[in-house]
Amino acid sequence: MNGLSAQKLKALQLLTQPKDSQLISHVNSCVHCGLCAESCMYYVATNDERFVPALKVDLLSTIYQRYSTVTGKFLPRLVKARELDDATIQEMVDLFFGSCTLCGRCTLHCSIGVDITYLVRVGRAMLASMGFVPATLQSTVNAALQTGNNMAIPTEDFTSTLSWLEDELRNEVQDPQASIPLNQPDVNVLYTLNPREPRFFPLSISAMAKIFYAAKESWTLSTFMYDVTNYAYFSCNLEEAVKIAERLFNETTNLRAKRCVLAECGHGSRAFRWEAPNYLQKLFSFDTLTSVELLAEYIREGRIKVDKDKNQETVTLHDPCNLVREGGIVDEQRYVLNHTTTTFVEMTPHGLDNLCCGGGGGQLSMSEYGDRRMKIGELKAEQIRKTGAATVVTPCHNCVDQLIQINNRFKLGVNIKTLAEIVADALVLDQPAVTPSPTQKA
Amino acid sequence: MTWYHYLAAGAFLLCLISLLSHLIRLVRLGAPNDYSRRRGNVGSAIVFSFLGAMSPAKKESAYLHLPTYTAGLLYHIGTFVSIALFFLLFFNIQPAAWIRWGVIGLLAVSGLSGVGILVKRTTVKKLRLLSSPDDYISNILVTVFQFLTLVLLIQEAFAPFYFLGASLLLLYFPLGKLKHALYFFAARYHLGFFYGWRGIWPARKS
Ligand code: SF4
Ligand code: SF4
Repeated sequence: MNGLSAQKLKALQLLTQPKDSQLISHVNSCVHCGLCAESCMYYVATNDERFVPALKVDLLSTIYQRYSTVTGKFLPRLVKARELDDATIQEMVDLFFGSCTLCGRCTLHCSIGVDITYLVRVGRAMLASMGFVPATLQSTVNAALQTGNNMAIPTEDFTSTLSWLEDELRNEVQDPQASIPLNQPDVNVLYTLNPREPRFFPLSISAMAKIFYAAKESWTLSTFMYDVTNYAYFSCNLEEAVKIAERLFNETTNLRAKRCVLAECGHGSRAFRWEAPNYLQKLFSFDTLTSVELLAEYIREGRIKVDKDKNQETVTLHDPCNLVREGGIVDEQRYVLNHTTTTFVEMTPHGLDNLCCGGGGGQLSMSEYGDRRMKIGELKAEQIRKTGAATVVTPCHNCVDQLIQINNRFKLGVNIKTLAEIVADALVLDQPAVTPSPTQKA
Repeated sequence: MTWYHYLAAGAFLLCLISLLSHLIRLVRLGAPNDYSRRRGNVGSAIVFSFLGAMSPAKKESAYLHLPTYTAGLLYHIGTFVSIALFFLLFFNIQPAAWIRWGVIGLLAVSGLSGVGILVKRTTVKKLRLLSSPDDYISNILVTVFQFLTLVLLIQEAFAPFYFLGASLLLLYFPLGKLKHALYFFAARYHLGFFYGWRGIWPARKS
């Protein structure tokens, strides 16, 4: 390792000094069978060999071999062991950031069981430690770090948006007591948002507020920390991911909320539910669940009444990778749709096998790879077209954004909705509902 | 014991020590400590990882590539049988005639599967891009080992060549991809742990 810069040495530490056996297990397992190629949309959409997932594994594993194995040190050509030089770093940026949505399809279908997505994240972490996160992605992370939300929405704008949404809610449910509670302690539910909601899709906030109203839930939003996203999960900068996760953890703890309910955001829910406890090395004392699970729970327990006849158009479902393949939430959204729509049709493939929309892995914020993103989006467009559905439901705001772009580009003519919007449309309200005081415990 | 028995025993010992050192490292590093709240059953997911999830119906790498998958499966069966026979043949224990001819048939098919996989690796562009010399050497050594086993079952005088081939394979084993014989189990354990912790595996019907 002589002659390597301090930055490169730091990056190599992530690869050569593993904390546990997970990394060496996966980095040593690929047999170069190439059978993962057809599981990756980048390869399927472009037929470009560079996008075979195994090449991502290989990139990391050949660097690992160069610095960590006898063969790589003394017979580098035998295993094509690679130096961590500038050309390698450029290739890493292109493969790990530029051509992977971290969708996990290849991992699920690998003939051996190599966790390819995990290795891509290790590669991204190495790049982050050397300062090679694409500037576009880094600026989204910076916005969250500096302002508390990734869209840098000023608090006044946020609260005024919520104020008019509250007025709308009161009008809609015809109850002057209906509210969108803010910063209330000792509630049952601290609800989070994807900042795209207050900025572009306020109707999804209204939908959830109406559902909470109907369920007589004790809930609150926080104006200090409501952002469910954690783009540092995508950039794989651990320090920054910790800072962002810590804010939501602290806010939930400070408000003494029993449950932190994660808005419809695939990566955000993954980052907080599954990664944040490990980022912070803490067992959370509160429950962390997705709004998808909460909606299913409300219907199952009869806390809200729904009438599926209110949603009569043909509806299909796009499964967000981080929620489904990497988060195990598979049945809940189907349960909800089966109770709130008359005609629900599945895409092929769906569930654990579903195709990524193309917007995951931070791709939506990395405009430099926008053409590739839309190219792979064509596969999703075809999937949607084949269902004949009029509405595509997806419990993820990043997916919503990508699906809107796919809808426009490929002229699908479908509506894109979140799950909460579908449930809100199907709600049957008791008139008038009695709203609990915000501090009332459920 | 002849010179080639000593050679093979030495090669086996070196291979074993090297693989044991990898195993000890894996065990010492241990499993990751997950602080998130477990949602599923890790034990049954790990079992599923080794059994149900390996079924060809579950993996695109199998059901989209059935001929390659079948060849790979036969090739691996041939390898396991050849390794088992190595211990018998080392102590000059010959299987019964009826078993012998069955094994010879199996090794002919598995060896040819190995050749087929090698041909595919050299002719398919994406595989060439992915392959290093190690991939070709590993395939050739294992395929030759299977054919040598086959020949030795027919012609005992072939023993020096057989043990020479086996020794080469054993000496090469820890250097490259053949180590996946060990790491495969570790990778599948981790995958089962990951999917089990989050309640993704064992897979339900969606
Ligand atoms: S399917 Fe798995 S083992 Fe085969 S090349 Fe792809 S990553 Fe490697
Ligand atoms: S995680 Fe998804 S996008 Fe990335 S290599 Fe695997 S299949 Fe392709």
